Amino acid sequence: MAKVIGGIGTSHAPTIGVAWDKGQQKEPLWAPLFDGYGPARQWLEDVKPDLFLVVYNDHVNRFFFDAYPTFALGVGAVHAQADEGWGKRPFGDIPGDPDFAWHLARSLIEDEFDPTICQEMSLDHGVLSFLPILTDSDWKVPVVPLAVNVIQHPIPTARRLFRLGAALRHAIETYPKDKRIVVFGTGGLTHQLHGQNFGKHNEAWDNEFMDRLETDPTGLSELSIQEYMERGGTEGVEMIMWLAMRGALGGAVTRVHRNYTAPFTTGYGLLVLET
Amino acid sequence: MDDVISGAYVFTGERSSKSYRLNKMANTLSVPENRARFQADEPGYMRGMGCSDLEIDLVRDRDWKGMMDHGASIYLLLKIGAATGVSLPEIGTHTGGMTVAEFHARKGH
Repeated sequence: MAKVIGGIGTSHAPTIGVAWDKGQQKEPLWAPLFDGYGPARQWLEDVKPDLFLVVYNDHVNRFFFDAYPTFALGVGAVHAQADEGWGKRPFGDIPGDPDFAWHLARSLIEDEFDPTICQEMSLDHGVLSFLPILTDSDWKVPVVPLAVNVIQHPIPTARRLFRLGAALRHAIETYPKDKRIVVFGTGGLTHQLHGQNFGKHNEAWDNEFMDRLETDPTGLSELSIQEYMERGGTEGVEMIMWLAMRGALGGAVTRVHRNYTAPFTTGYGLLVLET
Repeated sequence: MDDVISGAYVFTGERSSKSYRLNKMANTLSVPENRARFQADEPGYMRGMGCSDLEIDLVRDRDWKGMMDHGASIYLLLKIGAATGVSLPEIGTHTGGMTVAEFHARKGH
């Protein structure tokens, strides 16, 4: 039987990928970020997952507003890399897991979550900015991506994402094959990419959010989208996707690792939790 | 829900509809061949994509704030930025009415 062995919450940003590709891992601005991933990478090597289930958002790279899905599930055997406008990064395609993904589709729809099913799901920095930091980029662990609209309003509520997490757990626990699955929730943390508060992040709220994700996810799930945007920026609302990861872990959790740094325009958080 | 929060636009359906042609044009710039065609003749490419004179002028003037006021998505502005050699900090600070240098001074970089 499959099981959830833990969850990872992480920020994503194009700048992480640029800094990584330029080899800036040890530069003073970036070392606190990249070094912070070390214990998470070690944890993944120790727990040996078979699959990553990643709840993330696409930044108008796979999907455009001609048809923009609220939830979209990648069921392909491989996922290509999206060209975000700067050209592709030096990575190969990312393996998927169609058998598990179709099981997930069936289970989610029975649970009244209805994703758009995607045979082709090119991935942008919503997945690829942090993945090469956490694993070798020969991609030994397949990825099943679940994209959430957090860009074009109306977007799902925080409560909806927390409940989605419970549905992910149910799907995993009813999958008949042995799989050790790590669930990711990625986005945020606070950032504001336009307007008079461009570049602003809210360190106090970011840390409160990570505290309460462990101890009070239900309380976090009751905050409105407006409250998330007031505290963390209109783009920082992405952070609600961490609640899907937390919902998949169930009740009490044990913290394995946590890191926070805000070198530039985004509050970069990292949280590794075990069930 | 408010549609402006702390001076930032919430990308609502109304904004998405109003700026659809500009966003659609920007979205095509993910393809390298399209980037090259756009770079060779920005107004011609945009006109071919159905953009209005106002949208063509906003891009010609690199008026990122004007594009946001017009309803564009910041993520699509980044694609126009990638095709024209303008970075996120340059775009973002312009939308907030400041220079990159002023921004860095404010952040203490």
